[in-house]
Amino acid sequence: MTRTPRIPNLGGARAFILHRPHPTVQAITRQLSAIGLITLDCWPELPPEALAADFVFFDADLGFDEQFPWKPGEAPMPLVALIGSEAPGRIEWALSHKADAQLLKPVGNAGVYSALLIARQSFEARKHLAGEIASLRQRVAERQTIVRAVAALSKGSDDERAYAQLRSLAMSWQISVEDAARRIVAMTDEEGGDDQSHRA
Amino acid sequence: MPRMPRPCGAGCGALSFLGFGLKRRIEIGILYSRSGSYQLVSDACRMGAMRAIADINADRNYGIELVPIERDPQSNADRYATLCEDIFKTSSARHVVGCVTSWSRKETIPVLEKAGGMLWYACPYEGFEANEHVVYMHACPNQHLVPLMAHVVPRFGLNGFLLGSNYIWGWEMNRVARDLIADAGGKVLGERYLRIGETDVSRLIAEIRATRPNFILNNLIGTSSYAFLAAYRELSDEDAAFRPENCPVISCNLTEGELPAIGETGKGHLSVGPYFAPRPAAFASSFEASAYASVQVMADVLSRDADAGTAEFSKAFAERRFSTRLGPIAIDAHSQHATLPVIIGRIADGFFEVVSREDEVAPDPYLSRYDPAKTFGRPRLRVVS
Repeated sequence: MTRTPRIPNLGGARAFILHRPHPTVQAITRQLSAIGLITLDCWPELPPEALAADFVFFDADLGFDEQFPWKPGEAPMPLVALIGSEAPGRIEWALSHKADAQLLKPVGNAGVYSALLIARQSFEARKHLAGEIASLRQRVAERQTIVRAVAALSKGSDDERAYAQLRSLAMSWQISVEDAARRIVAMTDEEGGDDQSHRA
Repeated sequence: MPRMPRPCGAGCGALSFLGFGLKRRIEIGILYSRSGSYQLVSDACRMGAMRAIADINADRNYGIELVPIERDPQSNADRYATLCEDIFKTSSARHVVGCVTSWSRKETIPVLEKAGGMLWYACPYEGFEANEHVVYMHACPNQHLVPLMAHVVPRFGLNGFLLGSNYIWGWEMNRVARDLIADAGGKVLGERYLRIGETDVSRLIAEIRATRPNFILNNLIGTSSYAFLAAYRELSDEDAAFRPENCPVISCNLTEGELPAIGETGKGHLSVGPYFAPRPAAFASSFEASAYASVQVMADVLSRDADAGTAEFSKAFAERRFSTRLGPIAIDAHSQHATLPVIIGRIADGFFEVVSREDEVAPDPYLSRYDPAKTFGRPRLRVVS
């Protein structure tokens, strides 16, 4: 059983604030410093070190794609959008960057701590889901391989028994059913002189 | 930030003649309850603030005279915000010394933000807050709960029972305690809450008797806490496993001010705070000492700049240390929390004997620097078969 740590360890984390010089930057910096983070503000571009940041706060009002050293939606860390104008186009742009949390401007005396925790959790959940989807996609892509492996094992007789045999082989090899199927197909292909992967 | 406005009202800008020189009169709010379930704590804080005001007014080194504007919320959480607003509306005060419960502090913050006021908060609290309109003058978790647990776990054992009054102090303290106990490798054997003022503790005692913890974290306040300690004493008379030397009740907010209400039943149990009264003592408790130091620091800044606003206070916190009756105090300019001593005390006959002391512990209200390995040593190795 895994236990989620509840005391959020934010000490020494680095946060970049991508916003033109403005009282908003001071208000966020004050809160981040009180929480224990190291803050760096920059405008109009994120410096190369930002790739190693733990959090990035970005201005949704005046921001543009070229500010970021990554494609929209592919930030390698949690993002917090700083929203002043609620113009639909600006919100749409912030959404295209998949902001994990938001803070409304003007930023007051609170809000940054909850934005950090929400952004971190959303980012981790998104990353976890993306990993799971990639793995499922890969498994779906191996459907044809499984069909071929079952066919190879059944040799024209009982498919159910062949599938059970494939599962038990996967278990004994301690690999996934898809990997086991690929191995069996490869062995069969070797025997038949054909060495191609078969993906649907 | 704007400098604090001083509209012309009673006393505003007026100069008083005190025999040896002109002093500028500055009104300050005092927002402590004079009745209710946590009155003893409230009275201790009020006593500290009023003593400091009297001492400063009598001291010719201060060019100011502080005029208290008092309001009594009668321990009703809903009255703090309205009475704080009343202070700001009917006087020139922009500084308020007050609030005991976190509930009342959180209720008051929107009023402070609206009026540009500042609250000097002289009680321990659960952390995870750093409002620039509040100066936190008593301990936060890295100055109370974390060192207390680090002291207790190796001496008494890993498994705890958590108690609290049913509001934010108990909830948040026990939340942090759950994490600390888990990090130490222990178990929370029970977590129970009573409404503020509730004195029926029979079920708590029965559960503690059944689960046999190594220590009990007491976040009950006022009369609930006194009732619990009295009932727990009866339990320890029946079963030696519950004597303080075997299974102590540990608190982060218990001070000398409440010892008369607790009497003999508290003896041997542990508390943590920035001050325990030596004999003879300058202050009766850390609440009184912190409230006194709050007014001292405030007066120190105001005597140099009577119109100082939040920005001027922040600058003073960044640049200076303050000499107070609590000892030299630094206030972190980012979080506005005080650097304080961490003292663990054991209840003796009407006083606390000091068990351990660490000076000048910097505040870490968000536990951002909390390190389980450093707090509890190397993780225990478990025998696996």
